[in-house]
Amino acid sequence: MAKYITFRFLSLLPLLFAVSVVSFSLAVIGEKVNGSIAVQKCAEDTSPTCVATIEKNLGIDKPLRHRFVSWFSDALQGDLGISNQTNGPVSELLLEGFWPTFSIVGLSLVLGVSLGIAVGIFSGTKPGGARDTVTSVLSTSFLATPSYVIGIFLSFLIATKLGWVNPTRYTPTEDGYFEWFKSIILPAASLALPTMAIIQRQLRSSMASALQSRYVLAARARGVSRNALVAKHALPNAMIPTLTVIGIRVAASIGITLVVERVFGLNGLGVILSDAVTNNDIPVIQGAMLLVATLVLLVNLLIDIAYGFLNPKVRLENG
Amino acid sequence: MQSFIRKPLAVASSIWIFLLLVAFVRPSILATHATTFSDTTFAFDKPSSQHFFGRGQVGEDLYSFAVYGGQNAVRSILIAVGIGALVGVPLGLISAWAGGRIDRATMWLVDLLFSIPVIMLAIAIVAILGSGITSAMVGIGFAMITRFARITRAAALAEKEELYIDAAKITGLSSFTTMRRYIFPNLIPTLVVQVAILSSIVILIGTGLSAIGVGAERDDADWGAMILRASENSLSEGYWLFFPACLPLLLTIVSLNLLGDALRDSYVPSGSVTSLTSTRRTAKTTTADLDVIDRAALFSVASLSVEFPTAKKQSPKKVLHDITFSVKKGEVLGVVGESGSGKSITMLASAGLLPAPGQITQGSTYFDGRDLTTATEKQWQKIRGNDIGYIFQEPIASLNPALTVGNQLIEPLLVHTDLTKKEARAKAEELLAEVRIPDPASRMKQYPHEFSGGMAQRVGIAMALACEPKLLIADEPTTALDVTVQGQILDLLSDIQTRRDMAIIFVTHDLGVIAEIADQVIVMYAGQVVEQASAENIFSSPTHPYTQALLATMPQNHSGDVDKPLTVIEGTVPSQTSIDAGCQFAPRCTYVQEQCTVTLPTLTLVGGSTVACLRAEELQSEVVNLTVSSTEKVTQ
Repeated sequence: MAKYITFRFLSLLPLLFAVSVVSFSLAVIGEKVNGSIAVQKCAEDTSPTCVATIEKNLGIDKPLRHRFVSWFSDALQGDLGISNQTNGPVSELLLEGFWPTFSIVGLSLVLGVSLGIAVGIFSGTKPGGARDTVTSVLSTSFLATPSYVIGIFLSFLIATKLGWVNPTRYTPTEDGYFEWFKSIILPAASLALPTMAIIQRQLRSSMASALQSRYVLAARARGVSRNALVAKHALPNAMIPTLTVIGIRVAASIGITLVVERVFGLNGLGVILSDAVTNNDIPVIQGAMLLVATLVLLVNLLIDIAYGFLNPKVRLENG
Repeated sequence: MQSFIRKPLAVASSIWIFLLLVAFVRPSILATHATTFSDTTFAFDKPSSQHFFGRGQVGEDLYSFAVYGGQNAVRSILIAVGIGALVGVPLGLISAWAGGRIDRATMWLVDLLFSIPVIMLAIAIVAILGSGITSAMVGIGFAMITRFARITRAAALAEKEELYIDAAKITGLSSFTTMRRYIFPNLIPTLVVQVAILSSIVILIGTGLSAIGVGAERDDADWGAMILRASENSLSEGYWLFFPACLPLLLTIVSLNLLGDALRDSYVPSGSVTSLTSTRRTAKTTTADLDVIDRAALFSVASLSVEFPTAKKQSPKKVLHDITFSVKKGEVLGVVGESGSGKSITMLASAGLLPAPGQITQGSTYFDGRDLTTATEKQWQKIRGNDIGYIFQEPIASLNPALTVGNQLIEPLLVHTDLTKKEARAKAEELLAEVRIPDPASRMKQYPHEFSGGMAQRVGIAMALACEPKLLIADEPTTALDVTVQGQILDLLSDIQTRRDMAIIFVTHDLGVIAEIADQVIVMYAGQVVEQASAENIFSSPTHPYTQALLATMPQNHSGDVDKPLTVIEGTVPSQTSIDAGCQFAPRCTYVQEQCTVTLPTLTLVGGSTVACLRAEELQSEVVNLTVSSTEKVTQ
């Protein structure tokens, strides 16, 4: 297993490098399309040295190769450059938005995945039954409803009408875990419901087919109890395709949170990014892209490792 | 197409999409006001007969805004799905066709872009191209390329495997022509379904982007921009402001998803998800004639009938008819018949393992003096793996790929005995040694995919024998194995059988195997027992024409003339739907008479055999002549 994890981790490195190249080229393409930041800043300053001075200060007068090397080595040390808007470091700005956004995504995944698996087993062990029909109708409607619409509904029902929790800003964990939980539960739930539906649908069908397999029949012929058939024999195999779906959903969740947190007025990455777009603040977008892609790749690494645990064939062939 | 129209939801979805297209082409037909209509004195008026959805911030008519918003929705699908499909589909095709390095490089790139969320990618592209719905859509379209490329590649690879593509290649068509003429047309159904599903994602994301101000202009007639404006005013003016945008948005997404599902169903008839473990018997009590129960036997099944439900309004398919057999202690019963004769279903049903939706409509089972006819799944659990061992046809598929062999091997021991895990492991190693698997201790730690078919079947036997069962049901245990391995497994089984004095029901289509191992034989055809006799009688005086024909097909009985083709039984086993119309073997029988197609023969004792044939007595009196002549007749 250690060998397999090492192999997986090493194959992540070229991907991370490529993501950096993509993020870096964002700035270059931006310059080609809109002119460099120096040109924009000197729009009113007609002195001939203005552009050159700023470009020299920012180090963007050098050849691309050099610029990439210095940007990349800075990025490795957590320095993502200077924001055009605030003139502060991009990393500080992103870190500010990071915790609200990733608290929401994290909580939504914990809730969505665990509920999705539970409901998937619940409906997959008796396909066609009453409980299967009820859960199917529910998950189809959650599946087709955008998280931000669920968010609008939850903020209307739970926050405004019932007044149970009313998050208007993100509360960090330092102010108490319960306060933190209360501040993110509604956006997290908005994201978690579709996640739950997606996982439930996948697990339901893979569970049903695993239970029809030869090895489950053979286990029944050995006198294995019904619960053990589901938990020990069918579930590990049914989880393999479900993991792939979870991986895809992680990336989608991070994206859609940017919209959901706006519905609740929480200032996470979504707010920072839409401000950055309005102000053409490419360094912030560049940094956010690198951050988000790295996170998605890391989560996918975890999923690959879990995949290896469930599928001995994969583990042994690549280990 | 008919099934498509019959679905009311699919029809409703189509109507909605049609309305959306009308809104795109000529919104003024549906709208009541122009988007320029405003009057701030009536800002945030609640819905009324003039303004169905109420009025917005500047007194605009929200219903008309929702209609005009449909334009942006359709436009975004056209741009984003257009870019995604036009670039992604060729990319996927090339990748699948070229294979090798090109394929790996393309897919690596696609996977890389997959790690950047669509919204993130769209935001980046909007930042470069400048705000506006078009650049947002180009951004989403860019992300859709990866989706289309992946799906096209996967579908094209599956098509490429199809034999007819090889045939096209051999006839000398160029790669490009093959791709265009043979592969691409077959991908269209998959792609049409994907277009519907990805369109819904495009709308979802596009609206989301506009809702955070990255996309449509704030004052545009756009569902996302309307959500943005509503969220700024909902606290003071009420949540109804979201309704005019969210309603068409939801309807569109749901419609696209439903259309995608309906299109998929109309292309690929979906196999209904059925079944799981427990098989419910509809007939708890049976009409079985108790006289046929052989109480002296170890295991006896009487008048077993099984049905499988078919499509609605059709009568269920009768798969087994009045199957009766028994096996004594220490005896080997051979069950023989062609594929499709119902042998496996008989064994599964007898052991309470009949897969759903199969139903036992009548029949009773006795085992070791106990009536198991109405045994519950719990009661069966105590018997299966303990008193009755079961070996399956496909040894590797019968082992759970996710668990070690040892883990599965100790299962019957842990379930049925008081052994601890450690003791069970020790016992399991002994069992593996008994079935002659070298190095049992390290084999226990391996996974099924590390086993050959023959080795896996030895594990299957060891598992079935673990609790020293009184009866072993072996369902074609050697069929999936190499000929040399078959012999070893047979020797092993008969060796263990004599040592343990265990009864075996041995299911096979190979009469050679029967000759080697069985004491008693039943011959099955089309879900019925057609002949039952001692192995000796079956081979010396086969009575039923089917038994005779089966014997004639044995290569050993071939006359030795190498130029003569091997004997075959013409025709195939009928599907079990027309069972009431006389003898099922009649269409293939060389002795068929008119009455055979009318009267259903029942099992009757003729000489030393029980035979279901109207002409059994005639045939048996001439049996010596017939075995010779039938050989020739069948070959004709």
